[in-house]
Amino acid sequence: MGRVATRRSVLAAAASLSLAAAGCGKGIGALGTPPRLLPDVAVARDAIAGENLMISRYDAALAAVPALAGSLTPLLEQHREHLVRLQARLIEPAAGSQQDQSPSGPAPTAPPQVPASPAAAQAYLREAEQTAASTLLGKLTAASPSLAQLLASIAASEASHALLLVPNRRST
Amino acid sequence: MSASLSAPEAVTAGQNQLMAAQPAAIAALQAALNAEHAAVYGYGVAGAHLTGAKQKAAARGWAAHEAARDTLSSMIIALGGQPAAAAAAYRLPFPVRGKQAAIMLAAVLEDRVAAAYLGLVALGNARLRMFGARAVQVAALRATSWRGEALAFPGLEVPVSGPVPAAQGASRPAPGPSTPGPSTSGG
Repeated sequence: MGRVATRRSVLAAAASLSLAAAGCGKGIGALGTPPRLLPDVAVARDAIAGENLMISRYDAALAAVPALAGSLTPLLEQHREHLVRLQARLIEPAAGSQQDQSPSGPAPTAPPQVPASPAAAQAYLREAEQTAASTLLGKLTAASPSLAQLLASIAASEASHALLLVPNRRST
Repeated sequence: MSASLSAPEAVTAGQNQLMAAQPAAIAALQAALNAEHAAVYGYGVAGAHLTGAKQKAAARGWAAHEAARDTLSSMIIALGGQPAAAAAAYRLPFPVRGKQAAIMLAAVLEDRVAAAYLGLVALGNARLRMFGARAVQVAALRATSWRGEALAFPGLEVPVSGPVPAAQGASRPAPGPSTPGPSTSGG
């Protein structure tokens, strides 16, 4: 009984909604304003860009010093995990104008220049990891609680990477 | 015993005003304190099975967790809370009878400390967030140096659960690689 009434009211509401969507100006106003971007979106985008940059640096380092593959590959894999987890946080509307369609493609910038000696390449990545970690910590207070926790965890992972990027540590 | 390593963060007197009495903050600090209590206990166990440089590292870790415990206690008191006391004994996540297990125990202790401090990062208070995040980092660095490898998500994904308070004063290790509940707060 109540169910029928409910269904009716739902149908009525749907009808008025479609009328509103059909065009009269007042109705559109009743639908409300489009959702504004939450601060998390900007923070997550920045963090995704940061991870993409780290991945491109590791790729460049591996190309420059293939002998470091054994020590760098596990760290690169973790950056890829960071990226996946961050991208999962970024739910953007698929419709409409997508000016930056591919957040995974740092297209316009040239590949990073990595020094060709193993020690210098490690030092380069070590500094990049430390910078990335402190950049994430700088975003912490702008993020929602759960995104802040993810950023803090990733920052701790990157600081840990820096600890491992020392010359002659477990040489293969 | 003097702490040779400084605490992850020092409490300043001015911090007290910034912390309005918040039950959520106190609860998160208590969870971190419980993890520090477990770490102090666990490092004592680990250190007993180590020698040389590893033993020194365990002693430094033990002292650092003692200092962090004091810091957290002060912060809880400043917020009007009552710091949780340490349990009489903690059940170890696995039997520790040698060097390798001792090293793994130290790493697991740090994992669990990192997870507890991550709770502070969810708070609204910006200073407590940063305090928690830095402490997560410090714990992750120690875990990395014990383990020789990094985790992708320190604090978020804890590989093995650490020591939990023993049920009824039993100080013996749990038989086998039993997996006690992943209690992050140890309430």
